Amino acid sequence: MIAPLRALRRPQGAVAGLWLILVICAALFAPLLTPYAYDIQNLPNAYQPASAQHWLGTDEFGRDLLTRLIYGARTSLSVSATAISISVFCGMVLGASAAWFGGWLDRIVTMTVDLTWSFPEILIALILVAIIGPGTTGVMIAISVAYLAQFTRLTRAQIMTLKGETFIEAARSLGAGNAHLLFRHLLPNALAPVLVSAMLATGDAIILEATLGFFGLGAQPPVPSWGGMMSAGSALVFKAPWVIIFPGLAVAITVVAINLYGDALIAELDIRSRLRREA
Amino acid sequence: MTVSFRKSVLAASVSLAALLSAQALAAQEAVFAMSTNEVGAPTYNPIKATMLNTATGLLFDRLVSQAADLSYHPWLAESWEEAPDGMSWTFKLKQGVTFHNGEPFNAETVKAWLELFKTTEGENAYMAEAIASVEVLDDHTVKFVMSRPEPNLLYNLSSTFMGVVEPKSFAALGDNYGVTEVYGTGPYKLESFSIGQETVLVRNEDYTWGPEMAKNHGPAKVERLTFREIPEDSTAFLELKTGGVDFLLSVPADLMGEVQKEANLAVLTMAGQDVWYMPINVTKAPFDDIRVREAAAKAINQEEILAAVFGGVGAVADTFLISALPESHVSDGAKIKYDPARANALLDEAGWVMGANGVREKDGQPLKVSLWTQSDSIFRRLTEVVQAQLKAVGIEAEITTFDSSTIRDQYKTGEQQLAVRSYNWDNADIVDWFFGADRLGYPNVSMFNDPKAEELRAAAMTGSKNMEERIANFTAYHEYVLTQFPMAPIYQPVQAMAYNKDRIALPEKIDAPSFGAAAFLDLEVKE
Amino acid sequence: MLSWLVKRLLMLVPVFLAVSVVIFSILHFIPGDPIDNLLKIGSSPEARAEVEARYGLDKPLPVQYGIWLGNVLTGDLGTAIVARRPVADLIAQALPHSLRLGGLALLFSTVVGVTLGVVAALLRDRWPDRAIMGGVLLGSTMPSFWLGLILILIFSVSLGWFPVSGARGWESLVLPVLTIGLGGTALVARITRVSMIEASGRDFVMLLHAKGLSPLRIQLRHVLRHALIPVVTILALRIGWILGGAVTVEVVFARPGLGTLLIKSLSQHDYPVVQACLLMLAMAVILGTLLGDILQALMDPRVRAALS
Repeated sequence: MIAPLRALRRPQGAVAGLWLILVICAALFAPLLTPYAYDIQNLPNAYQPASAQHWLGTDEFGRDLLTRLIYGARTSLSVSATAISISVFCGMVLGASAAWFGGWLDRIVTMTVDLTWSFPEILIALILVAIIGPGTTGVMIAISVAYLAQFTRLTRAQIMTLKGETFIEAARSLGAGNAHLLFRHLLPNALAPVLVSAMLATGDAIILEATLGFFGLGAQPPVPSWGGMMSAGSALVFKAPWVIIFPGLAVAITVVAINLYGDALIAELDIRSRLRREA
Repeated sequence: MTVSFRKSVLAASVSLAALLSAQALAAQEAVFAMSTNEVGAPTYNPIKATMLNTATGLLFDRLVSQAADLSYHPWLAESWEEAPDGMSWTFKLKQGVTFHNGEPFNAETVKAWLELFKTTEGENAYMAEAIASVEVLDDHTVKFVMSRPEPNLLYNLSSTFMGVVEPKSFAALGDNYGVTEVYGTGPYKLESFSIGQETVLVRNEDYTWGPEMAKNHGPAKVERLTFREIPEDSTAFLELKTGGVDFLLSVPADLMGEVQKEANLAVLTMAGQDVWYMPINVTKAPFDDIRVREAAAKAINQEEILAAVFGGVGAVADTFLISALPESHVSDGAKIKYDPARANALLDEAGWVMGANGVREKDGQPLKVSLWTQSDSIFRRLTEVVQAQLKAVGIEAEITTFDSSTIRDQYKTGEQQLAVRSYNWDNADIVDWFFGADRLGYPNVSMFNDPKAEELRAAAMTGSKNMEERIANFTAYHEYVLTQFPMAPIYQPVQAMAYNKDRIALPEKIDAPSFGAAAFLDLEVKE
Repeated sequence: MLSWLVKRLLMLVPVFLAVSVVIFSILHFIPGDPIDNLLKIGSSPEARAEVEARYGLDKPLPVQYGIWLGNVLTGDLGTAIVARRPVADLIAQALPHSLRLGGLALLFSTVVGVTLGVVAALLRDRWPDRAIMGGVLLGSTMPSFWLGLILILIFSVSLGWFPVSGARGWESLVLPVLTIGLGGTALVARITRVSMIEASGRDFVMLLHAKGLSPLRIQLRHVLRHALIPVVTILALRIGWILGGAVTVEVVFARPGLGTLLIKSLSQHDYPVVQACLLMLAMAVILGTLLGDILQALMDPRVRAALS
């Protein structure tokens, strides 16, 4: 059985995994699950607390909060996951080339990465969004750049260790070329730790996306995102606290689940030591 | 035992005394939360600033004051007279007035001050533009020689932008005037100013020349005023509720219900000076077609917005001006009111047919437009309702949110199609400011440039010999602009303030158009 | 040791230069022109050129960079375009607030995090361990602006214990420190726990046990000392992260500080202020890294031995 499934057998992995599956399914099948539209306003019905019709109440436009929370999962998860995927891809290319080719390329990459790595992601993202402009695309790019350093660093370190291993030496002596070695032997072996840390980073990215949304920089209305909903809710905090409470809980629980599942996965893959070296 | 008992009694009485003195001190102080749209004003320099906050009106007096009924009354000027042809004005100045730095206020200072408008770069020169020169007749009499009749002169002289500054320190301090130091004749002096955070004012003990609408002509009753700048209305409200501030200088309509729920809080309302509206860029397709403009304007359901977004407080707007202004009384046909049937018919006529998904189409193109707004929460909320109302007639509007200071730069690009905005002004010349062809982009967000409007505008701005003529000319100009649909009026709020009844006592009636110096002179802090 | 320190300090020079180039150039990609704020509407191109010249914005970028760097090194941070006053004044106004907030949050994270980490390690795999680790994980996954607002609702509005916003007196620091500190606590507690567990397995600990020292004493006196090395290093490395957290929290609590100043000037395109704020934050990050290295050297006898 493959590791992601084995991780589900651990108790915390199971609970966390189930929640994640639930959230992802909700996001995927949002139109089927929700009896309301996320954007149709019903102004006389605004600020309703939880009831049988609206399980989580309604927002300032009388829209069903649960519906928006589910659609919001779509935005928040897809933005964070896409951003991290871009980041992982670019980070692996950069990190692997730096480690493999060495020399000035390595020096430049290492220096840049070290510089940005110590900078808080939120600052990098804020400045990038200021350059690119607000909206989903801007936020996506900003998040992927903010996490680029992390994956470059990790991949580079993985490749550096693997480079000296005997099986690589063996393949090389058999006449394997750079590309073959890199893509057939090195990257597949470096993949597991990178993917696990990508998963954990997705959790951080969800928080980052929410924070940018709080500053009004994420998805533009009426499209809901968890951060955007909290941003609107922050102005209504004493009148309709549920508008801000539920999206915040959704973020927190989802990120906890990602972390717990990630921990289970790390244990299953037995890659703790390989990750820690770079923490 | 006894020793420790005596000690603790002593300690208790000491701390009690400290507590009492702290209370006595607190009684002399009041904390205000600045209106959120005044947050971040960078300077207290009325000649250069484009934005001035409420505290500015306490640092500087004006020659003329205005009552709630918009009539003009003496302040630093005791009396005045306009020549029959409108080409000169004579002002008698109050005696015994001094600036905060001890300099006397007299005819020479008025002359020097008015000259600053001509020599200082800034947006406010137009305020004194019609004054060609100032003659000093005697120590306390000045004569303004006009380049043209200016029926609006008294209004300008009563504006905060024409607060009388002390000319010597103004010259000496340069860019620091209004930032580190500032000297006027007002009832309060500047103690400290930290931009975007707070301003502390202390009472001007020599002040005795308050405007006649105030019961107390000075000095003011409260010793120290702290103005805090809190960027979010909800935070400011929570501060009021929890006693962190005593007075909110603006309460958005949607929060008034919350204020009224609290036993110790009270709301004070005064006639509003704001209009919320949706500018329509007349140069950008599809809005270069007047039918589409009219349709978009008439798709806005003002009554629904008033009820749902603003909790029924205030009034709908159906012209560009607040209804207190006589120039707002245009013919009924020119007023812009919600009419979905007309909006739909106009769009059909213009060739935009309803598509399957509720969005109109023409030649395969969907009727999709941009709708810009500011990031403040009330703007975002209103804009989302406007978006839904436009959708109801088949116009799909895509919202883009900008920071309130960035959005000006964006308007200058001329790329906007629709936007949600508000302005605060109580004079008809605001029509010139927002629709004059020489200010395309910003403030003329609608990019409105119409030869007939320009003619009417010139007549209104510079061709009026007296107030009656000015009103007629501005009404005609305003009415014509409305019929071209460069914007849709939405809402006019009241000025609402909230305060802690246990801490603040206000006079029964505040006879002024806004909460300014007159109100602050009578304001008391309860013991 | 001294030569190591000198070498380490010299290494900061290229890092600083690189950071300054990045900070300087990146801002010029931001669309929108702050000069517009200064000009009268409908100004002539000449008037515009004049204002640009006054702020030095008419020169080529490398020249602008050179002038800026020279000024920065002599302590002149320029003039704020929108706020129209020396940037140094704005920074001087904001910095103490941020340092106080960041410093206290760091202290809170360290004290609470180490305590919780030690308790969790001592009671490893029993329920207190699980409860602690679960709790700190939850604390670190709540978006800080959200946590801040919830704390305001509970402690300011309902209980009335602390002010809602602003920076008047120590009371106003409690909730912001808590908000930032809770995020850091998770990190510290996790590292402390793991390194305690790891250090317990070391040979010297076995030896101490064999000597008959009390287990608790061994844990607290010897194991903890070892376990603290990675904690200190990571904390110093993460100073920037604490400051990043401060940015949002300052906005939520409407506190003066580098964060509010940065956000405001970023949205106003006030380049000189943004540059100065970023420079301050970058300096904090760089110095944090340095501090981490030095502390690690001082605390780890092996490193100390290798250096001398």
